[in-house]
Amino acid sequence: MALNRKIAYIDLTTGDIEIKPIPLEVRKKFLGGRGLDAYLLYNHTKKGCNPLGPANTLLISAGILTATCASATARTHIMAKSPLTGLLGSTNMGGFFAPELAWAGFHHLVIKGKAEHPVYISINNGEIEIRDARGIWGKSVTDTQWAIREDLGDEEVKSCVIGPAGENLVRFANVMTGIKNSGGRTGMGCVMGSKNLKAVSARGTLDIQIAHPVEALDYNKRFIDQIVSAKVNQTQGVLGTPFIWGATNCWGGVRTRNFQYNQCEYADDIEPERIDEIAEESMGKHHMTGCFGCQVHCRAQYKIPSGPLAGKYDEGPEYTSLGAFGAETDTPRAETVLTGNYLVNQFGMDNLETGSLISWAMELYELGIITEKETDGLDLSWGNDKAVLEMVERICYRKGWLADALADGGIPASKKIGKKSFDYLVQVKGMSNLHSDERPTPALALNVATASRGSDHLRSRPAIDLYHLPEKVLRKIYGSPVPYDGPLSSEHTEYVGKPWQVFWQENCFMGVDILGICKYHTTFLGPTLPNFEDWSKVLYYNTGLEMTPEEIWEVAWRCNMMERLFNLREGLTRNDLEKGDMLNHRYFDEPCKRGAIDVIGMTIDKKKFVKMVDELYKHQGLDREGVPKKETLKNLGLENEPSHLL
Amino acid sequence: MATDKQGLSTAESLRKTRTYGKFRCHNPSCMERIQPEKGCKTAKCPTCGMEYRIHWVNANLPRIRGPVWEVNKKLAEEKLKEKGVS
Repeated sequence: MALNRKIAYIDLTTGDIEIKPIPLEVRKKFLGGRGLDAYLLYNHTKKGCNPLGPANTLLISAGILTATCASATARTHIMAKSPLTGLLGSTNMGGFFAPELAWAGFHHLVIKGKAEHPVYISINNGEIEIRDARGIWGKSVTDTQWAIREDLGDEEVKSCVIGPAGENLVRFANVMTGIKNSGGRTGMGCVMGSKNLKAVSARGTLDIQIAHPVEALDYNKRFIDQIVSAKVNQTQGVLGTPFIWGATNCWGGVRTRNFQYNQCEYADDIEPERIDEIAEESMGKHHMTGCFGCQVHCRAQYKIPSGPLAGKYDEGPEYTSLGAFGAETDTPRAETVLTGNYLVNQFGMDNLETGSLISWAMELYELGIITEKETDGLDLSWGNDKAVLEMVERICYRKGWLADALADGGIPASKKIGKKSFDYLVQVKGMSNLHSDERPTPALALNVATASRGSDHLRSRPAIDLYHLPEKVLRKIYGSPVPYDGPLSSEHTEYVGKPWQVFWQENCFMGVDILGICKYHTTFLGPTLPNFEDWSKVLYYNTGLEMTPEEIWEVAWRCNMMERLFNLREGLTRNDLEKGDMLNHRYFDEPCKRGAIDVIGMTIDKKKFVKMVDELYKHQGLDREGVPKKETLKNLGLENEPSHLL
Repeated sequence: MATDKQGLSTAESLRKTRTYGKFRCHNPSCMERIQPEKGCKTAKCPTCGMEYRIHWVNANLPRIRGPVWEVNKKLAEEKLKEKGVS
């Protein structure tokens, strides 16, 4: 049986460890990765639990296809109740950890309790040990990984770790692996810190059985052919995700100065071609690298070219770092962006949240809502490179009144700062928005408003909406695996048909997250990349599990519903600005001022937006308040949750 | 999406549609194909008037690097005035 993967329950308070198989009936309902984690989270946490208390359950998992013959199945998923939002906490990262965990014998870890002192969990070929981490507490992300390798005497050990930000309970601390693979958003590193858990390491040489190895390898060749021939991936392989930032900034889709503008002007020094030059100058021509089993290689290796940290090695920067330390703070200089990127990678802190909160503070400083009294003398004027980098460090170590407030996240900080500060905080469900501007794109605005983990582009982004594909092509994509004959528009400024695209994309992204595949290998930025139909075959060849594309769609929908149930249990309501499916008023009130001619003057029409949410809820099987209808839960087999099957 | 009706893989059919020496206008409502003169540093979209700086990947492969900032700003301010946005 190819699906003989296991789950381990680890109690850090008692030191108890229990290992169980994953029953096939649970597998068929939730498959693995993020989907099965959603089931486990709902079943293993109680309503209203303190996200920083021992009762919060931390889940670490590999996708069901991880470490098989399928390409780019390197994703590690981590889930818990979020200390940033008080709702669903969920993150997904690439690198090499998940396959190593699978080879070490486990696909899911359920971690409860709190250790008395800093520890790390070591997993080696089926054996699990809780080890003392007092000697490595305080170390940076990279140093921690090397210290663990030294402690275990094995250079091949892969670890997911926290840096100082997680230890200091920064609410948006990351879980990290490698140099820059970041389990960001929603503060899963903070949850690890609250449990005194510095790291989880894995080393494995156990076999992963493949159900039909010849067919699996053969089909994977076609997969690779599709993936490497997509123009978007070819460009990613040269410029990485900065290419998306460059193109988006070109037409005016990049948040700048905390949403005052939608384009970062004179950004020549951080355009993807410039970053590529720096990487080539410091690391040579072949400076792109990738995650386990991936052909795209979207990650640049570079050394910081100048400044106080000149010569330090790092990887990236991704789209979000260009936004965080370039556009948002109006510091479009390579030295600042690359140094900021290095700092958050070593601190283990979310670049997106960090940059957003600093730029929010800069706007408050500009408006006089905060002054040098709150900033402890720091001049937070737009464009002050030194102040931006200083703030990154202050937040990580909670130095000073403002940084300490920001380290608790935007909404708690707005309550401390008071006045009208909340009005300027661009967030959904307590999490800052991606450094993109969705005012010209209603579909993308709907996606960030309704994403399960707070404002987010990786839960349901119909980005191909911007390509103006012919309606026939759109119907081919969005009409499969379940039929759809409602309206569809290839115009990105339209509101018609967008809720279906968001619903479809939500299930597509859940699909890759349960399989363990990277989102660049599905319908996200390229319309020709694999989705449900291909996954059905890949799943069968690799695991022996026979599921039609429609059945995989249903699993994805069920898993999304599980996340919805968790959020509703923790207080989500439709229009709540702190915990709801609602956008900041600036989307509706402040028009775009820069970018392509047709983008200028655009806002989101609130009435049409509300109608889109209504329609999306209908597709999802929710009532007008966003609560699942009884028949939806019954159809998805969720009427008896929590069911405690695992 | 792996194969189309002619039995070609997606990759093969994609390659057939590739155009070289051209790029699409980055204005998402325009997306006109622009064919710049070989080696030139900027190009203007004949349809919407947006003007771009060009990066040449090789002698035959141009790519948009970014807007010509002054032109971009001028067009934006004109449009804002036209729409009455301050």
